[in-house]
Amino acid sequence: MPDLDRNLALSHRHQEMENQALGIEMSERDDVGMIDLRGKADDKAFMKNAATVLGVELPTDPRTSIKKGGIDILWLSIDQWLITTPLKSHDKTLSALTKKLTKNHALVCDMSDARSIIRLSGDRVREVLIKGCSFDATQPDFKPGTVRRLLFAEVAALAHFVDSNPDVIDLYVFRSYANYVWEWLLQTAHEDAGVGLFQVQDAPVV
Amino acid sequence: MLLIKCPICDCEGDETDFHYGGEGHIQRPTSSNPDKVGDEAQRDYLYVRKNPRGLHSERWLCERGCGKWFHALRDTATMVISKTYLITDKPPAELKKAGKK
Amino acid sequence: MSGKPYRIPSSRSQGAFGRLIDRDAALSFTFDDKTYTGFKGDTLASALLANGVRLFGRSFKYHRPRGVIAAGPEEPNALVSVGSGATHEPNNRITDVELYDGLVATSQNRWPSLAFDVSAINNTFSRLIPSGFYYKTFMWPAKLWPHYEHIIRHAAGLGTAPQEEDEAVYEQVHVNCDVLIAGGGIAGLAAALAAAEVGARVIIADLSPRFGGAADCIDGKIDSAAPLAWAKKAVKKLAAMDNVYILPRTTVTGHYDHNWVLMCERLSDHISEADRLANRPRHRLWKVRAKKVIVATGAFERPLTFANNDRPGVMLASAARSYATRYGVTPGERAVIFTNNDDAYLTALTLQDAGVSVPKIIDVREDTKSALISRAEDAGIEIIHSSVISNVETSFGGTSIEGVQIATRTATGRLAQPFARIECDLVCMSGGWNPAVHLFAHVNGSVRFDDTLQTFRPDQTSEAIVAIGAANGHFDLSTTIDESFDKGYAAGKSATGKSRPKKAVPPKARQDERSPLEALWFAPAKGSLNEGNKHFIDFQNDVTAADIELAAREGYRSVEHLKRYTTLGMATDQGKTSNISALGILADTLNTTIPAAGATRFRPPFTPFSLGSIAGTQAKHLFQPVRRTPIATWHHDNNCDMEPVGLWRRPFCYRHGTEDRQAAITREILATREKAGIIDLSSLGKIEVKGPDAGVFLDRIYSNVFSTLKPGRCRYGLMMNEDGFLFDDGVTVRLAEDHFLMHTTSGNADRIVGWLEEWHQTEWPDLKLFITPVTENYTQFAVAGPHSRDILQKLESTIDFSREAFTPLDYKSGELCGVPVRIYRISFSGELSYEISVPANYGLAMWQALMVAGKEFGLTAYGTEPLHVMRAEKGFIAIGDETDGTVTPLDLDLGWAVSKKKVDYIGKRSLQRSFLKGDERKEMVGLLTDDPKEVLPDGCYAVEQLLDKPPMKMIGHVSSSYYSPTLNRSIAFGLIKNGRARMGDTLQFPLEDKVVSAKVVSPVFYDSEGERQNA
Ligand SMILES: [Zn+2]
Repeated sequence: MPDLDRNLALSHRHQEMENQALGIEMSERDDVGMIDLRGKADDKAFMKNAATVLGVELPTDPRTSIKKGGIDILWLSIDQWLITTPLKSHDKTLSALTKKLTKNHALVCDMSDARSIIRLSGDRVREVLIKGCSFDATQPDFKPGTVRRLLFAEVAALAHFVDSNPDVIDLYVFRSYANYVWEWLLQTAHEDAGVGLFQVQDAPVV
Repeated sequence: MLLIKCPICDCEGDETDFHYGGEGHIQRPTSSNPDKVGDEAQRDYLYVRKNPRGLHSERWLCERGCGKWFHALRDTATMVISKTYLITDKPPAELKKAGKK
Repeated sequence: MSGKPYRIPSSRSQGAFGRLIDRDAALSFTFDDKTYTGFKGDTLASALLANGVRLFGRSFKYHRPRGVIAAGPEEPNALVSVGSGATHEPNNRITDVELYDGLVATSQNRWPSLAFDVSAINNTFSRLIPSGFYYKTFMWPAKLWPHYEHIIRHAAGLGTAPQEEDEAVYEQVHVNCDVLIAGGGIAGLAAALAAAEVGARVIIADLSPRFGGAADCIDGKIDSAAPLAWAKKAVKKLAAMDNVYILPRTTVTGHYDHNWVLMCERLSDHISEADRLANRPRHRLWKVRAKKVIVATGAFERPLTFANNDRPGVMLASAARSYATRYGVTPGERAVIFTNNDDAYLTALTLQDAGVSVPKIIDVREDTKSALISRAEDAGIEIIHSSVISNVETSFGGTSIEGVQIATRTATGRLAQPFARIECDLVCMSGGWNPAVHLFAHVNGSVRFDDTLQTFRPDQTSEAIVAIGAANGHFDLSTTIDESFDKGYAAGKSATGKSRPKKAVPPKARQDERSPLEALWFAPAKGSLNEGNKHFIDFQNDVTAADIELAAREGYRSVEHLKRYTTLGMATDQGKTSNISALGILADTLNTTIPAAGATRFRPPFTPFSLGSIAGTQAKHLFQPVRRTPIATWHHDNNCDMEPVGLWRRPFCYRHGTEDRQAAITREILATREKAGIIDLSSLGKIEVKGPDAGVFLDRIYSNVFSTLKPGRCRYGLMMNEDGFLFDDGVTVRLAEDHFLMHTTSGNADRIVGWLEEWHQTEWPDLKLFITPVTENYTQFAVAGPHSRDILQKLESTIDFSREAFTPLDYKSGELCGVPVRIYRISFSGELSYEISVPANYGLAMWQALMVAGKEFGLTAYGTEPLHVMRAEKGFIAIGDETDGTVTPLDLDLGWAVSKKKVDYIGKRSLQRSFLKGDERKEMVGLLTDDPKEVLPDGCYAVEQLLDKPPMKMIGHVSSSYYSPTLNRSIAFGLIKNGRARMGDTLQFPLEDKVVSAKVVSPVFYDSEGERQNA
């Protein structure tokens, strides 16, 4: 185990949350390891070896994810996946994967520290999302499990729709942008800034 | 704001989710033997581009989807995107036909 | 009628007037510092009219007094500034401003006051200011244009820009829907009901606070209900559906390619300033992608063109009706109606019902018959056919109407002798209706001329957009209802695939038939066109019929040229009331038809909207993403001056105590050169490339060779673009036989990942490799200086840092303080240096551990500026300083890194182009000023020969320039024409106030043998 403290990009921001009047809940996930895996979906040997280590086959449908035990595998491209692991077992998974894929055409990169994961939850999460992204996250086809890369508040990001009723969405942003995105969310997720899209409304004046 | 669909991952989105890469099917003359490429051929490759009113082949990057480059056929007058195809594909027949007109 | 003379009593006609106002809720507001009272539900226009205010502004060119002519967004005259200080916003149409308690409004374009305006003298001398006056007078000489422009802006300005920072927040949303309906009138509501019934996701937006459109101002029945009652029911039904979103106070401002629609929602402009929530967005910009767009934006009434038709008190007939019905306001006590169609008869009847005396209707048409006309006759209103208003008589100064003169209409004549005079204080005019085709036409929708309506209607488009109701030229209620349900169902079906349910029975509507209108583009008057009886076409830009005729005579026959020459249809109203009338006059003058004269293009926005909403959230502290390194908090706590590098904030230098920047830079450099320094390099780009062809690929990307690099070693490389110009550099590490790690400059990191992917995917897809950017996963520091090895050796590590084991350009991985690290022995400072790459989340703790370990060795944090000075002392280039997109590696004497052996790499062929060779190129050299204390300014020029004054022939410029504390003198790099052949020459650099001379020398100023970095 390292002798040094671990500091996440948003570690210092949690205390300020008490004073915020937000329409959603948000927090940084601090117990997740991440692996960027490259390999070709049509490379059978690669796919098999990866599945052996992870206990589940890599998803090949665009913008989907698979959950197995504590591991989530997020589709990023036809030759790229983002694997999230419980921090405790991360090193084990990483080295097992690296070892197993030695003979395959593959690239395994530890990316545990590259991104910050901001977990957004509540009924108004999608409303906040559409303020920053270039697509309509309120559409019903964004079901739990869906993964979508996006430009969010001018920042490259990834949204993982984790759960619904109430919605839980993990917003992945590169570490250096995390504070900016956090500030951005504090403004747009304010309880006074609700949209109320596609709900029963009070009838306007006629 | 164009609406574009990637032929590789089916990701559909605003053109800001994609990145424009200029005219498609530009042949790089130097890969085999740079020393044999004349100045004019090099100039044409670097700088000379079509600018048609009508069907145009162009390269787009699926930046917020799969991260892959692909081709699109777009009508520059109506903005209609009639076809998308792989970056390694040859120019489609309709493009050749439009070029002759 | 004292007190509030123009407010219709609530008792009148069983409370039929003023249905939108709450007479129990009085609101106080000011206009030009005078306090008035209005009611909740009023617009600023209705409240001011109710208080007897008729004068709202002065016209652009002639500064003529202007009133309000409309009741909606087409209003060209009555623009005011609303709010004050941080909330001040100019150019609001008073017809669209909702009244709130404490509202502060100020008139515009008048000086010193609205009632007395010194520029009104322009009106008297108007013969000297014909069409194109500004254009002709101020075009020459061109160099005086900025001066002229200043004068024109002062004289003709709209409101003033706010002087204080806007405190409001703004935001944007992206939404998809099946059917977007612009306009919440009867047509829009009908289409929404139909589309929603088949399950489509429908958005319906109206720019006003209320839905129903003209339902309260028209006759007829929908099934058995009055139009207003039907609209109320429809809105209630829509509001209860969760597949429908209703947006009041939302203007659909533009329609763009592939049915992308922009809408601006105003959330708080109607609320008293004290009650506005600080975190509620003021405006929200909607970016909507709709499968189908339905344009239900209605129509704008056309003014008629008659002498002095711009006088306060001349108003559109429908506007007068609207003020009476909705706000209980009569804009006058005695009204004359001037019309070429039946609709104005409804106004006559409404006003009479409201207690206004309506003595006469002046109808352009010959004796026509219809149910409406009979109703007016039955009500005792005299109708004068085949006649026109030939002049409007006003009080002194033109601020109020006293009467009108009536003349017989002649077929084409310009002159007429009046035969009667009618006393009145209000003129209601109606020249027919123009469908609001704007949205339909924004992308590529064409319009066609309709002879019956004498206006343009929507025609063809390649977009999935359709117009209905009045926007499509249908002014009959029955047709509108039928069409709107049909097209609503069709839109719903094209989006959802579901047809109209069999049991659905759309309502049927009926309305009295109208007799057709008759075009009148010019009402004859007494006297010629410019003799005190201006016929205004474009009220906002003061364009008259005479101006259009003059422009036509001068050869401006294309309507687009006419528009630019006369400024017709420009400015904030974009010609909503004026375009068709102008075309009518132009066609008459050119002796052609309106369709032959052509139509101008419609462009977004439909009405102006705020810059704040365009910026959205990207303002103030969220203006631009800011990238922070993992060490950011330490930098902050140690008084660091941060420097923007792209989006990154990097440490520039750390000021101790009272130090200024130069003192801090000097201290940090000397500490690093003499003891040890540490710098945060986290922003450097890091890209892993792995695969059997990785070496071949890098050989093609870089100008030098990488396939021969041994695993565990580092090599500096240069990247050219395909034009042969240098665009990035950095050290690449061979981690393993098939595995490389590239470093890029901070600013180019993302671009180079894209660059590598593009070349791999599009040019060399056969090469087997993967590219993964890992920049953000690692914090990187350089620990440099004679004691750097001592410091690292003090920490617990699996790595052998000894001189023998860890040689220059070696790479080693292992653990440092229990954390996995990659360490490279590379140096940009020229000192013994180790670059340490640490997982980002351990970066801060590692930095702190190094600071503790380094304390006894004098370890000092240094910033990017000291780094730059040190690299310059060593003769190292910096991308962006020595390069600017036109510099080749050969220019920088980096030919050693440009391979001659490799068959091909990016930029190789271009580098051989003739103009990149020869002695005309600017070459990088070192420069030492004769006065060692003199630091050349960055970017200053060297001249071939020094002359008394410019121009002098320039031979190059300074690309980097610093004061070197190490050498205790200034140093610089220059890119000088044929520079390497000028070694030893002295060059002259003329500056603003002096001339600096400097000697051309080798660019390596310090430790040219590299003994320090190899120590
Ligand atoms: Zn894609």
